[in-house]
This record gives sequence, C-alpha cells and structure tokens, in this order.
Amino acid sequence: MTALHWLSATEIAKAYAARTLSPTELTQALLQRIEHLQPKLHAFIRLDAEAAMDAARTAEKELAAGRSRGPLHGIPVGIKDIIDVAGLPTTAHSKILIDNIAKQDAACVSQLRKAGAIVLGKLSTHEFAIGGPSFDLPFPPARNPWNPRHHPGGSSSGSGAGVASGMFPLALGTDTGGSVRNPASVCGIVGLKPTYGLVSRRGVFPLAFTLDHVGPLTRTVADNALLLEALAGHDPDDPGSAQTNVRGFGKWLDRGVAGLRIGFIRHFHETDMPAHPDVTAALEDVERILEAEGALVETVTLPKLSEFAGINRVILCSEAWSIHAPWLRERPGDYGALARRRLLPGAFMTAGDYVGAQRRRAELIATVNDKLRDYDVLMCASSMDPASEIEDAAETARTYPRQARAPFNVTGHPALAMMSGLSGNGLPVSVQFVGRYFEDATVLRVAAAYEKAAGWYKKHPPI
Amino acid sequence: MDPTIAALAKAAGLDKALAEFPADIEAAAAQALGHAEAVKYPTDPAAEPWPPMRAEPTL
Repeated sequence: MTALHWLSATEIAKAYAARTLSPTELTQALLQRIEHLQPKLHAFIRLDAEAAMDAARTAEKELAAGRSRGPLHGIPVGIKDIIDVAGLPTTAHSKILIDNIAKQDAACVSQLRKAGAIVLGKLSTHEFAIGGPSFDLPFPPARNPWNPRHHPGGSSSGSGAGVASGMFPLALGTDTGGSVRNPASVCGIVGLKPTYGLVSRRGVFPLAFTLDHVGPLTRTVADNALLLEALAGHDPDDPGSAQTNVRGFGKWLDRGVAGLRIGFIRHFHETDMPAHPDVTAALEDVERILEAEGALVETVTLPKLSEFAGINRVILCSEAWSIHAPWLRERPGDYGALARRRLLPGAFMTAGDYVGAQRRRAELIATVNDKLRDYDVLMCASSMDPASEIEDAAETARTYPRQARAPFNVTGHPALAMMSGLSGNGLPVSVQFVGRYFEDATVLRVAAAYEKAAGWYKKHPPI
Repeated sequence: MDPTIAALAKAAGLDKALAEFPADIEAAAAQALGHAEAVKYPTDPAAEPWPPMRAEPTL
C-alpha cells in the first residue's frame, strides 16, 4: 500500500469517496511528515497546523454528509509566500514585508477554498520571487529533497521541495521567468505555467505585471489538471485576466499522443546554451518515447534563447523597478544582496529599452504562434543543468540563468516542465512542453502520455 | 566608479544605495546595458507594443 504522504490528490479523492481515508487522518499524517522534514528542507515559512486541522474536520463533516465540493475537497495544499492568505503574513521571504498581514485571500486561494482544499501554510520563495537562494534573509532557503545539499530551484522553492518530499500533494507557485517550472524541473515533479491571464493574479505580490503567472505544482499530471481546473477563470479585478471560460483541462489525459505533431526546439539546448550531457540524453529519450507512442516529432527553429532572455530581463527589471523603487531608495539594506542586485538594474533601463522590448516581444509572439500553427505542441529543455549545490554561490550563479523557460513568459504560452530522468549524481533532469494559448489541455495531454510511458512519477526522493 | 553611472543612480534617487552598496550599483548598470543589448529592437516604425501582453487563441 502506498504511504499516505505519497498519495496523489486523485488517489486521495478516491480514498475519501471509498471511506478508506479521512481528511483529518491525512492532514495529521502530513503534519507529522512536515514536522520531520522541515528542519532539513525549510519548505515552510509559516505552517498553520491549527487552521489546517480545523479545515480538515470541516471537510470531513461535509464529506460524511454527502456534500462533496469536488475532487479537491479535503486535499491539503501549500501556498507560496507572495500569495495572500487572509490572516497570515505575506512576507515574500523578505525583511521588507516581515509584518505584512494579508487582509484577504488572493483570488487563487479563494478558488481553492471554494473547492474545499485545505491550506497548510506559506512556503519559502526567493525574496520577492527574484532574489535567491539567499542566506541573508529572515528565513532559511528551502532545500532539494533529492539531496538537501542542493538547490530546489526557485523562486517557488518551498512549493517544489514540499511537493517532491511528500509534505503535501499540491502547491501554488508563481512564474515570471520560470519560477514554477524551475523547482518542478530540479525537484522531479510537474509544474505548469498556464496561458497568461488564465489564472487570476489578484492578491499576489507582483514581480512584473506583463510576465507574472500563478501556476500549479504537483507530483502527477492528472493532479496538475485538477488544480488548474479549480484555479482557472476570468477575474474582472485582475487587469491581465483573460475573457475566457476555457475548462476541461484533464479531458484528454488518456488520449495519448498518436497523430500529434510535436516541434522539438533543439537549438535552445544544443547550440544557444549547450546543456549538461545528462539533460541532453534525457531529452533524446523523451523524443524516442513520444515517437514510439505515435507522435510525429520534428526539429523547429525559433529566435535565439539569448534574445528571449534579454527581453524577459528588460521587461522584468523595468516593471519590478516601478514597484520596488521606493524601498530601494529608502531601505536598500533591508533587501538580501541577491534581490537588491537583481532589482537595481531596473533603475538603469530607459523608457526606450522597455517600449522597444515590448515591441520586439510582439514580433516574437507572432513567430511562436506561427510555429504553433504547424505543431500541436513544442518541446524543449527546461533547466540546462541538474540542481547546483545550494551553498556554492558561484555554481548557482552560473547555472541559474541556464534555462529555456523565460521565452514562454515573454510570449505567454502555456508551458509545463516535468521530470525526464535522473542525472549521474541522482538529481532530476527535465523536459518542457509548450502549447497554443488556452490549449493548456493539449500540453497536459502530451505530458500525461509521456508520464505514463516513462514512469518517472513512480520515483521519489530518498528522504 | 564611472561618473555617468553615479549621476544616473543619483537621478534615480539611489543616493543611499550608492553610498552603502556601490558595487551593486555598478553591477546593476552593467547588467542593464547587457540585457538591453541582447534585444533586437524592431526596425519597422509601425511595429507597435500595444497591448503589452494579451493571450488570444492562436488558430
């Protein structure tokens, strides 16, 4: 029998329906696992055990009375600490916001509560979702459950570490330059950056308005679809929210990939930013598996990774400066060194740089859309390297920007990263799938087919 | 420090950071230049940036 902490949300929902497991039993078991692992992994900034047990008891009564709120009812979830949870601090892992108590739930948290999910608490992040991993902040950085000497990725670090280690089956992260997909990639789980505007960002501390996304982190693709189902929807109070009612993200999970056309962007990891050999080998395996499952995989070319990265940084730094300028002027010493160094470049960007980057962005969006007329899904690397040692600042600085996620923050297309193997030193490596706007279901379909054929989801960190 | 960078930092109101973290200011200016140089700005005067981000169905 599977240990309770490794059950997926889908399995938990089935166990609740069969009355072989209850929300209080599960929540208690997860709280014990958190107590055991937190000193090693530091996934939480703030655990709200009491409120979680109260919510579990409520869910138990409702389920016993036959009042199910859906598949997330009674399922525990962790929330990145730039997302508001009413009554709890939203610190953004920073001294700057250390006393900032949220008055209301963020829209995404509100959606989860409506679906009956149990909020466990607030999770470690890179400071303001940009400065990390850092050891000069009010809380320690999260660590990788596959080897706690290594970085769990970021900026949604606690979300990745907690899901991968079995502290909770579901987590929310945010993604401005790859921050959901990075921890998913190096912690061996599934992370989706949905289509821009599909999930409301109301109540989420912004990093860069036109690049920010909220996204689900899970151990399985089916759970990712379930969580997205609860999160997606138009929010008139989020200016970036899309006017769409697209639903049914899990409807094609069992369809396989036979007949699908997949464009493989090889130059990202072969020439633009040559990847670690273990990452390259795993990507070749993904291609072989998808072809064996019946997909047509062909090589495609996009503009160079460095150009997407430059546009991402010009826009991110400019927009973030407009948010952080008052604090950077008055309290520069209250930021950790990494956040300060990554936010200050915005002061030196010109209006022309910003507008020029937005103009070029429109051209790049058109280019990617053109490719997606010929292909159902694009496939490429996510991280170019396995996780660095977290205390090796030089290696982290070298490897952290070596990624192919930022292009899809620039374009806003849905992009999912998931485990594609283990490196020679036993750390996860990954693949990324990218789809058309609002066709997140197709991305999840390809991911589900790969997951089933490759079977990496059965592998858990030795912790 | 390059006096132009110092002048730009002061113009941005970063006097405190300039005094306390001069190396960060210098590095930030260099990074900003590097990021901006990586972008191939459109040559077509009609290439517009509006809206800055909006996802719409592809097909």
